[in-house]
Amino acid sequence: MNAITAYLSRYRLVYVRSLVYMLQSCEYSIHDFFIWYKRINDFSHVEYRKHLEFTPKASMLAAFGWIVQAALYLLVIWHLFIASYLWVVILAALLPYILLLFLLAFLLVMRLVQTPAEYLIIRRAAKKLARHKGLKIAIAGSYGKTSMREILRTVLSVSKRVASPEHNYNTPIGIARFVQHLKGDEEVLIFELGEYYPGDVEKLCRLVRPDIGIITGVSEAHLERFGTIEKAAATIFELADWLGSKPVYVNSDSTPTKAFTKPSHILYNKDGVHTWKVSDARSDLSGTSFILSNGSRILRFKSALLGLHQVGPLSMVAALADFLGLSSTDIEIGIARTKPFAHRLELKHYENGAYKLDDSYNGNPAGVEAVISFMAGLKGHRRFYVTPGLVEMGPRTEEVHKEIGRQIARARIEKTVLIRNSVTPFIETGLRDAGYHGEVIWFEDALKAYAALPHMTIQGDVVLLQNDWPDQYV
Amino acid sequence: MKKTIAVVYGGRSAEHEVSIITAHIPIIQSLEAAGGFDVWSIYISKDGSWYCSQKFNELKYFKGADLSERLAKEKRIDLRFENGLEIVWPGLRNKKLKIDIVFPSMHGTYGEDGSLMGVLRMANVPFVGCDLFASAAAMDKVITKQIVASDGIPVVPYVWFTKTQWGAGKKAYSAEIGKLKWPLFVKPVHLGSSIGITKAKTPAELENAIEVAFHYDNKVLVEESVENLIEVTLPIMGNDELRLAEIERPLNKTEFFDFKEKYLSGGKGGKGNGVNSEYSEIPAKIDPEFAKTVKEYGAKVYTTLGCTGIARVDFLIDSASRKVYMNEVNTLPGSLYHHNWRKAGISNVELIRSLVHYAEERFAGLKELTHTFESGILDKVGGPKAQ
Repeated sequence: MNAITAYLSRYRLVYVRSLVYMLQSCEYSIHDFFIWYKRINDFSHVEYRKHLEFTPKASMLAAFGWIVQAALYLLVIWHLFIASYLWVVILAALLPYILLLFLLAFLLVMRLVQTPAEYLIIRRAAKKLARHKGLKIAIAGSYGKTSMREILRTVLSVSKRVASPEHNYNTPIGIARFVQHLKGDEEVLIFELGEYYPGDVEKLCRLVRPDIGIITGVSEAHLERFGTIEKAAATIFELADWLGSKPVYVNSDSTPTKAFTKPSHILYNKDGVHTWKVSDARSDLSGTSFILSNGSRILRFKSALLGLHQVGPLSMVAALADFLGLSSTDIEIGIARTKPFAHRLELKHYENGAYKLDDSYNGNPAGVEAVISFMAGLKGHRRFYVTPGLVEMGPRTEEVHKEIGRQIARARIEKTVLIRNSVTPFIETGLRDAGYHGEVIWFEDALKAYAALPHMTIQGDVVLLQNDWPDQYV
Repeated sequence: MKKTIAVVYGGRSAEHEVSIITAHIPIIQSLEAAGGFDVWSIYISKDGSWYCSQKFNELKYFKGADLSERLAKEKRIDLRFENGLEIVWPGLRNKKLKIDIVFPSMHGTYGEDGSLMGVLRMANVPFVGCDLFASAAAMDKVITKQIVASDGIPVVPYVWFTKTQWGAGKKAYSAEIGKLKWPLFVKPVHLGSSIGITKAKTPAELENAIEVAFHYDNKVLVEESVENLIEVTLPIMGNDELRLAEIERPLNKTEFFDFKEKYLSGGKGGKGNGVNSEYSEIPAKIDPEFAKTVKEYGAKVYTTLGCTGIARVDFLIDSASRKVYMNEVNTLPGSLYHHNWRKAGISNVELIRSLVHYAEERFAGLKELTHTFESGILDKVGGPKAQ
């Protein structure tokens, strides 16, 4: 009965809304949309984590969809009078799919209009950037790009005029729209370069024309699109290739970068950067502190960012700031101003006094390992690790998740809260393999787990929310 | 396989609303958070009608002036006791629901006083909290004092009487009361949540206080007020092995904190999070000797009264004379005193799970007892006489 009701959702008004929502969530990628579409049976419950945003594009699509839906219903009714019942049944059965085809066709038509318009915006932005006198810093990597951008912006802003796109606008059109609003007097421009397919980073380099590059690391993120980690690394290192002899900072803590690193690259990691050395690094729930020294110069840093994995990026930014002429005092002030960014190991509190570490935007294995390592160092707290697992891990899905399980077990985290889906059983296997002694708690969906956590915790407990799955993966 | 659990609340009691709060915060919220339970609300209206719906699992259902109109659309339920407890929504085709375990959340009369426990015993269904005998005894402040005093626990000197006795022998009781050390507290014997309790400093105030108390109950307790008072309470849970929470001290500014102050003055931002989490000091900063005595007496009172599952024992400490008195026992602490248990390191979910475990443990123990006895007495009745 439920299966029939779910199937019949294709005949309801909500069907059109759900299709538009799914397209919008997939950033109008028809490939990603179809992967999702094939999994869905009940179209009346698709907007679970977010809701359709009625942007002009989405509104036009939805309006068109509903008009087509109404027209198709009228057609079915009309056939009742003029054709055989067989035709009516066939037409009614095909109605949801005809509607879908019309909607996608309309989307393609919109693209025909949109693509030249966007091309013009991007071209104009490229010209404006070519004329812009500011120093352009580009950041590429499978993870840590937004954190790096925010650390850079915070530190360099102490004595320079800095601009960078908000959110994670890291596509040509996203960057071009940001460039439209530049005044021209900015001293430093910071860009994130998104990588989805081979050639993407090079394309963005042609637009941005960076003077300095930063490669934050390479991991299994987006492996479903790249196929192998080497292809992902090669795409990310398109930034280094484009820069040639110009400065390129590379995170050498990330193992997959090693094969692509050249002698001219400036390496940074948790032990330091270039000739700067890190010592006395500590991190707990109050933040991270360390000393950075270069010969007789000693800089003492304290940041509200959490985890020793932040020491590498913070050191790199300090060294770059020094290279750009910031005084030691300004660098120390800048580092002291850095704080956790939204949903990236962001410290919050439950009303009951438990700590909530919101790391829901961290969905890559390297980031997960760093955070588990941070959790391992927290003493005197009962720790909860909450995760639905990671997405887009391609053929490495099983091994990546088993390794997460093993890491949790080694960190002796007391409670592991898993959201039931296709990947979390691998985490459980990893936990079992490593002889985990803590408690494994299962929830059917993440929202139920989030609602339950305040009731499961007490003052002083630490809850880590690791990654979050948007609707298209649930 | 999920267990079907019914949370019973509301009822014909002055503490009807408090019962609704306790049922939701933390019981239903935590049962839902714990997973493994299919949670159903059984709500007993002020007129005594029984309703059951998962719609009631949201506290907001009970807010708003149109509650009785919304309830009128709900079907009243019947209860069946064959092979455990079964809820029936009567209709052309009866809809039925088998209940695996019951979580009583009824403060005061017809619930916490043992009445509900009697029904649940008849239904042969496991239920959370104290059983009938402890509930009934603890509901009567006088009987509680009489039982625990007989076991060597100190209680404050007191006089008690019923409405009829007071009407007939006011003079004699007044003389008896006169022997007590003033000021005095006047309390309805069967009510909790501080309802109807007044402090009297003069005979005129006493008369008025007794009248107020008789408005709520037909048995009244007049007892000495403890001066140099440190008032503390100790939540306890368990059946045979007891777990003590933290000793808690109310930090009421006024001489005596009443119902509103206790439940409605709210937590953060005055939003009201069940029992006021800001009105007390946990753990109480008291002399370690007092703390030791309170814990010792608390465990003894819990066992003497036959409490199981959960209860809260209140104490009055005279800091000058260094005497510790048992004041009263509450077999369903408001909101289970979850704020205190959390301070003791037990989350709401752990608290709820423990209470369910204790209920099942006690039920399993009861099942091992023999309740029938083949006497053959019926065959013998009338036989010899007929010969």
